[in-house]
Amino acid sequence: MTLNPSQQAAVNHQGSHLLIIAGPGTGKTHTLTYRIARLASQLKENERILAITFTNKAALEMKHRLSKLCGKRIEKIFVGTFHSFCFQLLQEHSHFKDFCVALPEEIENLVKDLWPQYANSQRKNLLEKISRWKSIDFDKEPPAEIAVYNNSLRTKNLFDFDDLLLESLSLISCHSSRLQDYRYIFVDEYQDINAVQHRLLLKLVSPQLHLTAIGDPNQAIYGFRGSDVRFFESFREDFPGATTLFLEENYRSAPNLLTASGQVMAKTKFSFVPALTAKIYQEGRLIIYEAPTDKAEAEYVVHKIEKMVGGTSMFSHDSGRAAKHEEAHYTFGDMAVLYRLNTQKNLLKEALERSGIPYEISGDKSLEGELLPQANDKYVERSEKVSLMTLHTSKGLEFSVVFIIGCEENLSPLNLENFKADIEEERRLFYVGMTRAKEQLYLVRAQRRMLFGKTYENSLSPFLTDIEEELQNYERETIKKISKEDKQLQLFKSF
Amino acid sequence: MRFYADVHLHSHFSRATSPNLNLEYLTVWAQLKGIQVVGTGDFVHPGWMKELKEKLEPAEEGFFKLKDHYAASVKDKVPSSCRCEVRFMLSCEISNIYKRLDKVRKIHNVVFAPHFKAAEKIQSQLGNIGNIYADGRPILGLDSRDLLEIVLESDPLSYLVPAHIWTPWFSALGSKGGFDRITDCFADLSSHIFAVETGLSSDPLMNWRLSQLDPYVLVSNSDAHSAEKLARESTIYDTEFSYRGIYKALSDPQDQGLLGTIEFFPEEGKYHYDGHRACQTRLHPQETKKNNGLCPACDKPVTVGVMSRVEELADHPEGRKSPRARPYYSLIPLPEVIGEAKGVGAASQSVEKVFIEMLGKLGNEMFILRECSISDIKKVAGALIAEGIERMRQGKVKIAAGYDGEYGKINIFSDSERGALQEQGQMTLFE
Repeated sequence: MTLNPSQQAAVNHQGSHLLIIAGPGTGKTHTLTYRIARLASQLKENERILAITFTNKAALEMKHRLSKLCGKRIEKIFVGTFHSFCFQLLQEHSHFKDFCVALPEEIENLVKDLWPQYANSQRKNLLEKISRWKSIDFDKEPPAEIAVYNNSLRTKNLFDFDDLLLESLSLISCHSSRLQDYRYIFVDEYQDINAVQHRLLLKLVSPQLHLTAIGDPNQAIYGFRGSDVRFFESFREDFPGATTLFLEENYRSAPNLLTASGQVMAKTKFSFVPALTAKIYQEGRLIIYEAPTDKAEAEYVVHKIEKMVGGTSMFSHDSGRAAKHEEAHYTFGDMAVLYRLNTQKNLLKEALERSGIPYEISGDKSLEGELLPQANDKYVERSEKVSLMTLHTSKGLEFSVVFIIGCEENLSPLNLENFKADIEEERRLFYVGMTRAKEQLYLVRAQRRMLFGKTYENSLSPFLTDIEEELQNYERETIKKISKEDKQLQLFKSF
Repeated sequence: MRFYADVHLHSHFSRATSPNLNLEYLTVWAQLKGIQVVGTGDFVHPGWMKELKEKLEPAEEGFFKLKDHYAASVKDKVPSSCRCEVRFMLSCEISNIYKRLDKVRKIHNVVFAPHFKAAEKIQSQLGNIGNIYADGRPILGLDSRDLLEIVLESDPLSYLVPAHIWTPWFSALGSKGGFDRITDCFADLSSHIFAVETGLSSDPLMNWRLSQLDPYVLVSNSDAHSAEKLARESTIYDTEFSYRGIYKALSDPQDQGLLGTIEFFPEEGKYHYDGHRACQTRLHPQETKKNNGLCPACDKPVTVGVMSRVEELADHPEGRKSPRARPYYSLIPLPEVIGEAKGVGAASQSVEKVFIEMLGKLGNEMFILRECSISDIKKVAGALIAEGIERMRQGKVKIAAGYDGEYGKINIFSDSERGALQEQGQMTLFE
């Protein structure tokens, strides 16, 4: 695999901290692994590298890539999330070596025991408050309940998930000899780090220990979880002498799709992020479809999927009814349907169930869930399915064909009575969704939709109107239902 | 024991199938057609599985029969001339749609299980992978090779047969979604494939042209979507009357238990020639070649049918016989012969009347088409139908070949012939 000049520059950079701003499809992971591999080859005896990923899945993928590039030297590289790194750090410390991470149900029971008078929602709120303090507001006055809560955990030799980072922070301050072997730190998805992670980095990084951070401020979508995209802007103050490099060449999306997503992002406040250049030359399809209802929206998507695999059933199969040749080279694994809210998937599920098309819902796995072992069935893993997931879950993935459903004013950006979100973050989220598509992007909306028991009449998402008209293709298609004649074959009536 | 088997068909739980595809009617139609072993089809579907377990009971090893009181409810629908024992074996077609080597593969496979436990093992595995409720023939994003592995792991006697291997859209060697070699499709597990299904649009003669098919014995089944289509193709055995008997006849190259197959005239199949149904362009492979694979009407690539595809992959000229070759017999379903003689559609009521009368007086359809003396047929059904059957037995029929999903059109008699023969018949009647 080759590197383009800007990727090469990022790989070769030496002598200072480095911030790489890498848009979607620019070869971020590719560049990062090559840079790690190159620096790993220069390590002296005992020197080590720390590579932080956003999820355990990303860590596995990174290890897999590195093992190919580094061979045995991979032993000198720790690849993992902030949490897994901190967990290891704490376990190496004699005081904590018997500690475990509390399971969600253990925490639930513990809170129940401590505050039996609380309703479920109160307990939930309390846990959110504690988590927020531990990961973001830890410099401020702690919530009154925290001492009791922490004590109760510690007597059981338990940490909660946030403790891993916060406790490591104090450990690093007073006892950091073990960390002296690290020569380089890499942090992936830098736009998604939160305050405690940022503080950890400030403590870890030293003139002898260079930091490489990579990410895309335009894809910062975890503000609601305490991530803070401003750490991108403050990088050069936080880490004096740092260099910034940009990866601007997109190898994923068809040029018209890339232009459209760029136009949606044109209003972003991150003016320092350059626009991307398309390195794919084949034009893609950008379709906007307006369905009368949310039910019709689901039918449309299923109908399209069926068409794009060139029909799923043999009856009624001739070239006239099957898809055009150019459409029919997709399988289920090439396609994803993305939505803003989990509740949107229900009608889609029903329509898919009726059709028999295999699908899979990729959950927003909680970070905690990631630490737990998953049941594996090799056939399930290998078999292809249409992916259904929230826009949030889609980050980092790519599909030949992407449907974004619910492109309406109250869903993108999210603006319902009880759910209002930051419009800038919503825009970035929509951008993340759009940039998952390689060849075909369907932006679908329903004129009428039921949400949480209420009917909404919706107009188009304002994000779509940011796309220039020339790129907008409206598809008007009547969907043919399976006719009765197909079902009623001629039968001998006397039997 | 000598018997006919038709083991690839569907239940009323499959898409676009007749509601008469239940076990009672299958039992009735098997007798009318003269078939002794019928596949259940669709065993992966939980609704059908429930019906199977409710209505069937074990018979010979791996075979099942309709319980007596269910059989009794339809007994009077079979004329005594046709009555015989009918057995079921557990079968199910799977639609595998997946990508291998960056190409879309759409392949239908038929799987067989020797008992309910094995069938349920397969069912539960496939249930994890996709939706087994929506269609009796489930659509799965599963590689054919992986399906084969699941089948093999369910029981040592479970097996898989690639379905209608030449169909362009959905088959192992099909022009649109297939591989160039059966062994590419099943990769490391290819040695566990020992039989392939020829499908309606190809006959053994065409298949024998490929050395790559030499290890396999050719089988035929109806792939029926309604009970009366049962046995339009089938396989003839003379072996132990059990699942194991069939398994051995298929899997052991030395075994001579498979006697041959009953075939459509391949031209009658839906995909024999190339063309576009919507443009009504029917092309012989040579015409397709001349047109560079494009439709003369719309200039887009034609659907490449079975004949072209065989030509493309064949490494022998026509006339070669493969080492496991068995005889085959090309037949036309009796209602079609009657319809041809009468100059009406095969599904018309007057055809049905004659069909029932012939079965009642002569015996089951397979007997009438293959063995019954022409003079007996003539006595019951008249000279024209007898002549039609005679011509069919001699292969003297004209067929406008099927293409792009359109069945071929049979032509046993020209209009003038029909008139002349009818007069002749009336003359003999007066003599």
